[in-house]
Amino acid sequence: MDFRPSPAQQLLVSTARDFLRKHCPPELVQRVLDARGVDDALWRRMAELGWQGLLVPADFGGSDGSLLDVILLTEEIGRAVAPGPFVPSAVVATAALLAAGTADQKKRLLPAMAAGERIVGVALASAGNSCAIDARGRLTGRALFVEAAHVADALVVVARAGGDTALLLVPTDRRGIARWPLETIGSEKLFEVAFDGVAIGADDRLEPAAARREALAAGALARTAEMVGAAQRVLELAVEHAKTRVQGGRPIGGHQAIQHACADLVRDVDASRGLLYAAAWKASEGAPAAAEVAMAKAYASEACLTVVRRAHQIFGAIGYCEEHPLHLLHKRIHAASLDCGDAALHLEDVAQAIGLA
Amino acid sequence: MEFEFSAAEKAFAEDVRRFLRDNPLDRFPLDGMDAGYGSGAHSRAFMRALAERGWISMCWPEAYGGQARPMFFKLVLFEELALAGAPFGPLAGSWQTADAIIEYGSERLRRDVLPAVARGEATFWQGYSEPDAGSDLLALKTEARRDGDHYVIRGHKIWSSHAGIATHGLVFTRTSREARRSRGFSMFVVPNETPGMDIRPIRSLTGGVYHYEVFLDDVRVPAELRLGPEGEGFQALLNGLDSDRFWGRFYKAPALERVLRRLVDHANTTGAGRDAVLRRQLAAMAAEIAALRLLFLRAACLLRDGAPISYETAVAKVYADETGQKLARLGMDLLGSWAPLRAGSREARLDGEISHAYLTSLGHTIAGGTAEVLRTTVAVRGLGLPAEPRKA
Repeated sequence: MDFRPSPAQQLLVSTARDFLRKHCPPELVQRVLDARGVDDALWRRMAELGWQGLLVPADFGGSDGSLLDVILLTEEIGRAVAPGPFVPSAVVATAALLAAGTADQKKRLLPAMAAGERIVGVALASAGNSCAIDARGRLTGRALFVEAAHVADALVVVARAGGDTALLLVPTDRRGIARWPLETIGSEKLFEVAFDGVAIGADDRLEPAAARREALAAGALARTAEMVGAAQRVLELAVEHAKTRVQGGRPIGGHQAIQHACADLVRDVDASRGLLYAAAWKASEGAPAAAEVAMAKAYASEACLTVVRRAHQIFGAIGYCEEHPLHLLHKRIHAASLDCGDAALHLEDVAQAIGLA
Repeated sequence: MEFEFSAAEKAFAEDVRRFLRDNPLDRFPLDGMDAGYGSGAHSRAFMRALAERGWISMCWPEAYGGQARPMFFKLVLFEELALAGAPFGPLAGSWQTADAIIEYGSERLRRDVLPAVARGEATFWQGYSEPDAGSDLLALKTEARRDGDHYVIRGHKIWSSHAGIATHGLVFTRTSREARRSRGFSMFVVPNETPGMDIRPIRSLTGGVYHYEVFLDDVRVPAELRLGPEGEGFQALLNGLDSDRFWGRFYKAPALERVLRRLVDHANTTGAGRDAVLRRQLAAMAAEIAALRLLFLRAACLLRDGAPISYETAVAKVYADETGQKLARLGMDLLGSWAPLRAGSREARLDGEISHAYLTSLGHTIAGGTAEVLRTTVAVRGLGLPAEPRKA
């Protein structure tokens, strides 16, 4: 039993934290949120550090990390609310390609994705998805809540195919695809993607389609890591505020009402992180970890939102302002709680895992 | 990172499971009530059975009759016993006391008490709280007055668990008045039959007896029964309380896992498990229990590695107690009209275990440091928030 990241992992984390502190301050996050949702310079620098290629084997131009490494890095990305489609492209789509891509598909995309030159989005959610392939092999329907579809070069799409499920890899410049932005409260750019009789060839399939589950599990862990990283940052900001904000001649953190609130933030963050690391370690070792992943995502969704809501109360009025980073962290946690399966979906998986008939 | 037990630890878990298979629990008579912490009832017979296998003293140094096994073996034993619902009530207290005696006990304590602990015969009650010294423990009034090579103890202790059926008390006393509030305390290991000691049961809201109050009327004890240097008892107490939070709660997660399994079986049998809300509640409890276990295992790694602990055991203890209360509440809701039926009643469900767990859990956020005191500990010691001003 050992909770400590390896020396190499600690280096990865400290490098990421320093880099993001310097290159991804809250002002940049706010600016990108108001604009296209991706900062090209930041995305390129991240690729230079090998982040987008961390899950990719060296044979395909990646830096050959483990899923656990990616999770530790994603925690830092969540902490900084770093903009850009890291989780969909560098985690979920990458995991799908690794598990179900042909040699040609991998060779064509993975090196470019690792280099930050290509972005692959994912349309794997069941909410609002009506995609289906007809008998002539044409894709019709729509997918909702597709992140960063506007900058994606291709999309991994789940679609009904007769009685089966198909997993597709569709270039976004193909005829019949339209992308419509959805306006969200957060920094993520979500889209409705409509497919109108899009031609699908044999080269556009990812098989087996069940690889979708593996990709979603990696995504669920990454979203959990974002939540844990963001909630850790919220905790630190709230404690700092409680120590320095003086009212009635004393720091507000000298009062038990605030102290006990802060103690609960620690519990929620620590407990979420424990579940995250245990699940990520198990998945990283190649052991079946579906129940652990579901527990981690469901638990952190609830706990990390509780952390940030409680923090709003600790901060008082200043936390209500746009210039304060609390809302950015809050919205990122909320968005992460929904993507790759919300708490209700994961709890049903847990219910089955504990033997509920 | 690694989130599993080592091969040796797993092999030991298998040994414990084999022992539990070979020795059905109904063979062990119970002597004292199960207080719901997860360690089951007090059973001398079960303690003797653990002792026969060398498991009580397995982590002690060889010089004291132990096998010098790593501390994680104790965690493995706790987990397996709690998952099975075994009656190992006094075990954590025996371990803690033995560790303290090994660390700073007199030769006489080591010679007299340790072998009895190893045999499963010596068990201990804590004489810390007093009627006017609860969360403010240092307000205690019990005094130990030096008289030659003896001390004479006079005072009144209360909320001492299983004092009437244990063999020794750990009696925390004031031995001198000092300028610093935390100095001048000493701890004694006092055999129960010592003249002047009057141990009276307190019936709890469960109808059973777990706590006792102890009147100490000029109880004369040899100085060799003092645990550690005179006047330095407070540090020993703090270590004891810290360790109490950990060892006295470590088995809560596996014990709750066992209860949750029973609730799941019940929900499947009655069909209640098809309800979407209940499914989510039970699943969320499973996640909370898993998170709880990891909080304790993380603290265990820090203890094992000798890393500093500021708030980790306090967080874990509060979470253990509140998660236990939550599960008991969910169990009561699930059983509905059957919920209040007690063990032995006609129509009782799950052996009346849930109503007992519900009632006992009410005391858990109070005993061994209230949830409020511990949240303050987390904030002040763990997060560095300013302590509230305190009257001298």
